[in-house]
Amino acid sequence: MISMPTNKLNNQSSVLVINDLTIIFGSNKAVDRISFTIKKGEIFGLLGPNGAGKTSTLSAIEGLIKFQSGDILVNGLDITNNSLKVKANIGVQLQANSFQNELTINQIIKLYAGLYSVALSPAAIVDSLNSIGLGLEAGKQFKQLSGGQQQRLSLYIANMHNPILLLLDEPTAGLDPQSRRQLWDTIEHNRQNGGSILLTTHSMEEAESVCDRVAIIDNGRVISLDTPKGLIEKHKHDPNVLKVSRGKVTLEDVFIGLTGSEIRE
Amino acid sequence: MNNNTKSLKYLRPLLQADFFVLLKNKRALLVSFVAPLYIVFITNITSKHATAGQSKLGGAVFLVMLAITIGIMSTSIMGYAVTVARDREKGIFQRLRVTPAPTWVIMVSRLLIQVLSNLVITVVVLVVGSKVHHLSLSFLEYIWALLIATLGGAMFLSIGQALVGLVKSATTVNAIGTLLFAGLLISGLLGPSGILGSTFQNISKWTPVGTIISVFESALHQVTWDGHSWLSLLTCFGYVIVFSSIGIIWFKWDSNN
Repeated sequence: MISMPTNKLNNQSSVLVINDLTIIFGSNKAVDRISFTIKKGEIFGLLGPNGAGKTSTLSAIEGLIKFQSGDILVNGLDITNNSLKVKANIGVQLQANSFQNELTINQIIKLYAGLYSVALSPAAIVDSLNSIGLGLEAGKQFKQLSGGQQQRLSLYIANMHNPILLLLDEPTAGLDPQSRRQLWDTIEHNRQNGGSILLTTHSMEEAESVCDRVAIIDNGRVISLDTPKGLIEKHKHDPNVLKVSRGKVTLEDVFIGLTGSEIRE
Repeated sequence: MNNNTKSLKYLRPLLQADFFVLLKNKRALLVSFVAPLYIVFITNITSKHATAGQSKLGGAVFLVMLAITIGIMSTSIMGYAVTVARDREKGIFQRLRVTPAPTWVIMVSRLLIQVLSNLVITVVVLVVGSKVHHLSLSFLEYIWALLIATLGGAMFLSIGQALVGLVKSATTVNAIGTLLFAGLLISGLLGPSGILGSTFQNISKWTPVGTIISVFESALHQVTWDGHSWLSLLTCFGYVIVFSSIGIIWFKWDSNN
């Protein structure tokens, strides 16, 4: 593990500090010395083609996979030595909405409230479900919900303990425009309450609409990091970007120009 | 409060959820109860036609203990292993692992629910079996039966754990589990009878089913507790240690890694 100066580690305004993170699966270097920070109240997007290392980076922060070198600090806590404390401070929405199909919505909420040590009275559960438009679905099993409803429940559970950092892995994948807008509103509401968000996405529209800063990663490396507008400004004269642009340079042009046009599996 | 005591606060919500899931899994519940009870009833019918209350497969105690063994074996291998493999594949463990609950608490909850399920099966089959086969077991013998069933449950759970440790795909776990269950069932049912020859009869004595049945019979005074009984008991513990070690060492929480 690379040692870092203490003053850099304890940067209080940064909710998340990632320094020289390297993740290797067998002979494949999935993440190669990635570094970035997320400040309090910031929405940070990770953009990258399939297999770029987005989900691996998120999984390392979530404590789901071991990393070979580097440091991850959440609110000043090193995840390697404080895994459970860090997990209590973060909210996670995984790519798959992985809840037991046999459980009802009510039972799922009770389970995760218990795991996050959130005291919820039956009335509070009803209020919460009403607030996310699932008031009538409390007795339904998870598998009986629509994709949008499952996503809303998943986001509610990720957020139920007011985490200082919310990690969202492709949160709007497969959602209709209405559900997507609703989710963006929730993300914005979360930020206004002081929460920080790290999300991965394939949607340039999403990155431009909700992210304060965006890192484009490819082959496990950060190849550019700035605000969405800053990225366009920085790369609008890049020949690779101009080659794929169909007029005014967009974030999508920048993304394809930097990561290439070939389709990734 | 030390860390382990703090960790136990996560056990309650997990146990509740796992219990609800178990109750909802009607197919597994049905198989776990129907198969042993079917054996209890069908062997009662066949033993009526045999001389002196003895069926070809063995005495009444043997048959009831065999039924219990089949019940706990089906819930441990077919139920536990398949559920764990399926939940791993669907990412349910991943979702639980991103909460502050330690991973060992997540697994302990699963195992405790399974142990409870095994105990319920044991009590139901023992009570029904005693009535149907007119067994007169003392209170102490009931306690012995429960303790041995717990050991048998641990043994079959460790086999189930080894299975999900070695095999990632839920479909493959299901297929291998079914074959394993059938193999162990045949060894337990036909092995002691000698129908398949003396070599198979000797081998079957040392299979998981054979050893636990042997311990059951000795503890319930159907045969004298002797060197073979001690060896059978030790073999059961050996199976628990070996298979649970395999299951813990090779177990992966994520089916993709």
